[in-house]
Amino acid sequence: MLRLLLRRLLLGLLTLWLVSLVLFVLTQALPGDAARAILGREATPERLAALRQQLHLDQSPAAQYLHWLRGAVRGDFGRSLADQQPVSRLLGDRLVNSLVLMAAAALVSTVLGVAAGTWSALRRDRFADHATSVVTLVLAALPEFVIGIALVVLLSTTVFRVFPAVTLATPGHPVWTRLDVLVLPVLTMTLAVAPYITRMLRASMIEVLDSEYVQMARLKGMPERTVIVRHALPNALGPVAQVIALQLAWLAGGVVVIEYLFRYPGIGQALVDAVANRDVPMVQAITVVIAAIYVAVNLLADMVQILGNARLRTSLR
Amino acid sequence: MTAPLDWRVSRRSLLKTAALGAVAVGGAPLLSACGGSSGIETSATAPAGSPKRGGNLRVGIVGGGAKDTVDAHLPVSHPDEARVFALYDSLLTRNPDYSIRPALAESLTPSSDPRTWTLKLRQGVTFHNGKPLTVDDVSFTFQRILDPKSPKSQATALSIIDLEALKKVDDHTLAIGLKSPSVILDDHLTNYAAGIVPAGYDPAKPVGTGPFKFQSFTPGQQSVFVRNDSYWQSGQPYADQLTIIDFPDDTARVNALLSGQVDVIDQVPLGQLAVVKANPGLRVLESETGAWIPFTMRVDAAPFSDVRVRQALRLLVDRQQMVDQVLSGHGKIGNDLYAPFDPMFARDLPQRHQDLDQAKSLLRQAGHSDLRVELVTSEVAAGTVEAAQVFARQAQDAGVTVKLKKVDSGVFYGDNYLKWDFAQDFWFTRNYLPQVAQGSLPTSPYNETHWKDPTFIDLVTRAGSTVDEAKRRQLLHDAQKIEHDSGGYIIWSFTNQVDAHSSKVNGLVPDKSGIPLTSYGFGRMWLG
Repeated sequence: MLRLLLRRLLLGLLTLWLVSLVLFVLTQALPGDAARAILGREATPERLAALRQQLHLDQSPAAQYLHWLRGAVRGDFGRSLADQQPVSRLLGDRLVNSLVLMAAAALVSTVLGVAAGTWSALRRDRFADHATSVVTLVLAALPEFVIGIALVVLLSTTVFRVFPAVTLATPGHPVWTRLDVLVLPVLTMTLAVAPYITRMLRASMIEVLDSEYVQMARLKGMPERTVIVRHALPNALGPVAQVIALQLAWLAGGVVVIEYLFRYPGIGQALVDAVANRDVPMVQAITVVIAAIYVAVNLLADMVQILGNARLRTSLR
Repeated sequence: MTAPLDWRVSRRSLLKTAALGAVAVGGAPLLSACGGSSGIETSATAPAGSPKRGGNLRVGIVGGGAKDTVDAHLPVSHPDEARVFALYDSLLTRNPDYSIRPALAESLTPSSDPRTWTLKLRQGVTFHNGKPLTVDDVSFTFQRILDPKSPKSQATALSIIDLEALKKVDDHTLAIGLKSPSVILDDHLTNYAAGIVPAGYDPAKPVGTGPFKFQSFTPGQQSVFVRNDSYWQSGQPYADQLTIIDFPDDTARVNALLSGQVDVIDQVPLGQLAVVKANPGLRVLESETGAWIPFTMRVDAAPFSDVRVRQALRLLVDRQQMVDQVLSGHGKIGNDLYAPFDPMFARDLPQRHQDLDQAKSLLRQAGHSDLRVELVTSEVAAGTVEAAQVFARQAQDAGVTVKLKKVDSGVFYGDNYLKWDFAQDFWFTRNYLPQVAQGSLPTSPYNETHWKDPTFIDLVTRAGSTVDEAKRRQLLHDAQKIEHDSGGYIIWSFTNQVDAHSSKVNGLVPDKSGIPLTSYGFGRMWLG
C-alpha cells in the first residue's frame, strides 16, 4: 500500500513538472511579452527596451525556464513581472482565500450531494426522486457563470438584498472574518458540483440497496437507519469517490471563473490577471498550485476507494 | 490677447461650466463664480446646495491588476489614473468644458517667439508631508519624467522642454526654455500624468499636493486615501476617506453598485444601462466627449495609398447608424476630423454623409470596382469590434467586401502594432495640435495611418510656433481641410462617457475630457 502511494506521489511530481513545461512553452507562444502587456498603448520603443531589460526578458526562453525551475525546486517561485514582488508573498493570502473557498464548497457539496443522493435513492421512482433528478439535471447543464449571475440577481441586487454581490474584504484581513462574502461563491460552486455527486450516489446507492447483504441486514431486523448508515452508505461511497474527487478537482479550476465573477481575491482572479499581463512566473506558480490540488485530490480518492473496497484492501496486504 | 492661456477666457468658460453643472445637478442656484481670484477654481466645481463633509467615498473603477501603480508619472490603467487624480495635481488642469485653467500654476505665459514660458507658482501650497511647493519641485518633476534611462508616460509630449534651460528666477517663478518654439506647452502640462511631485519623490511613499493623502495600496484590489486637510482648493475635499476599488469585470462592478457596496462606478457597460436606470437610488452621469475610435487606413499601403479608395471608404459609412448600433445612441457623429473641442476646430467643413453612388464611382475610377480589404479588429476599446462588424455590413451595400480579422489584444499590440494596413484605434479627448503630435506626424509615437503630407507638416509646424491666434486659426483650418479631404482616418463618432453613482453622491458634472467621473474629481464629490 505504501509503495503504491509512493509511486503515485512520484507520478504526481512528474505530472507537475510536465505541466510547468507545457505552460512555459504555451506562455512563450502567446503573442507579446510582459513588457508590452504592462505598458499597453504606452509602449514606446524606449520604454519597452528599458522595461525588458529590467524584467530580464532579453534572456533566451530556455535560460528563463531553467532559472525558474531551479528556483521552483527550492520553493522559490521568483518575482512577479507585473509588480516585482516575490510570487510567494503575492500568492500567500490569495491561496489561503481560495483554499477556504474550495474547502467550504467541497464540504457543502459533498455532504449535500451524498445526502440528496441517498434520500433520492430511498424514494426510488417516487415523485421526490423524479423531482431531484430533473433539478440536478438542469443544474448540471447550466454553466456556473449563469448560476452565479442568477444568484446575484436573486440574493443581492434585484430581488432580495441579503448577501454582498462582490467581495470587498480589506486586503490583509482573512476572508473568514467576513463570512457573508463566502455565501454566494460557495453556493454557486455547490450548485455546479453537487448535482453530479447526487446523481452518481443515487445510482450507486440503488445498486447497493438491491444487494444481498443489505437485504440480509434488513432480514436480521436491524433498524433501517443502521442499515443505511453502517452498511449501505460506505459501500455506495467507494465507487462514487472517484466522481467526487473529479468534481472537487474541478473546483480548483472552476474557482477561476467564480472568483472573477464575485471579485473574490483568490488565485483564480490572480491567474486571469497574470495571463493578461504575460506574467510568466505568476502563471507558472498558480497553475502548478492548481495542478497540485488536482493531483492531491485524486490521490486522496484512490485511497478512499482502496479503503472502501474490501477486495482491493486485502489484495494489497 | 496673445497667450493661449488667457484667464479672462477661462473665467468666461467657467461661467458656462457652472451653467452646465447647474443643469446636471438639478438647477439649484450656484455659488457666485466671481468670488475673488482664489474663488475662480472652486466656484466652477462647487456643486449645487451646500456640500457636506465626511463619509467614506467608495469608488469602483474598471480594470486594474497586479501591474497597478501609484507612481505619479506611470499611470496605465483606469485605477492608476484615478489614484493619480486623488494624490497629485498638475500645473494646469481643465474645466469640465475642456478649457484650460490654472492649478498649481498661477500663470504660465509664453514669450513672443514662443521659446520660453514663464511659470508663476501658486503661493502657500504644501505637499502631503508638509513641505511647501517651490519651482525646485517642478524642475525635479520635469527631470524625472524626461529621465532618458526610464522615460515616463509624458516623456514624448514634454520632450520639447530643454532641461538645461530651466531657470529659477525665485522660489515661485521658473523660466522654462524649449528646444523648439511651441504654443502648446500649457496643453501638455494639463495632463494628469504630469503631476508635480516633491524633489526626491519616492513612489513607494507617494506624496503629492492632491485632495487626498495616501494611506494604503494593494495592487489589483483596492487603495485607501484620507482627506488632505490643507488642500489648496478651499473647501475641498469633502469626503473624509476615499476607497478606490479595482474591478476587472464589468458585471461585478455594476453588481457592486446595485447592491450598494460602492457609491460610484465609472463606465457603465451600455448593455447594463437599463438595469442601472431602473433603480431609483442610482443616477447616470453621461458626458459628451472628444473620444474617438477611428478606422485607420495606411496611406502608404495599397489599396489605401490611392486617395480615391480612402475617400470611397469614408463615404460608405452610415455614421448615424454606427452611433445607434455600436454606441446605442450614446455618441455624436464624426466628420473624419478629431479635436472637436479645440477652439480652432474646423466646424465649417461640410459634414460627410453616406453616399454609395459616389463611393462606387470613386472605386471604379481607382480600378477597384470589387474591392476586397481585410480589417484587423480587437477588443481594445468598448465598441471596436462591433464598429468593425457594422462597417463591414455597410460596405457590403456598395459591393465592397470587408473581411474581419479579429485578434486578441496581445496580437493587436504585438509586432504589427502601428503597421496594420487597415485597423482600428482609440483616442481620448485632445486639442488639435497635441493630437497631431501624438498621431499625425512622421515623428509621432502613434502614427497608425503613416500620414506624412508635406504641406500638412508645414502648416502644423508653423501653427505650433504662431502666437497670433488669427494667423494660427487659418493655418490649422488649412491643415484640417487636408485631413478632411485625403486623410487616413475614418472618424465616425465621438463616444459619450457613461458613469453611474448612488443618489447620495453629489458634485459630479458632465465632463468633456473623456476621463470618467468628472475627470476622477474625487475632491468635489460629497455624500448627502
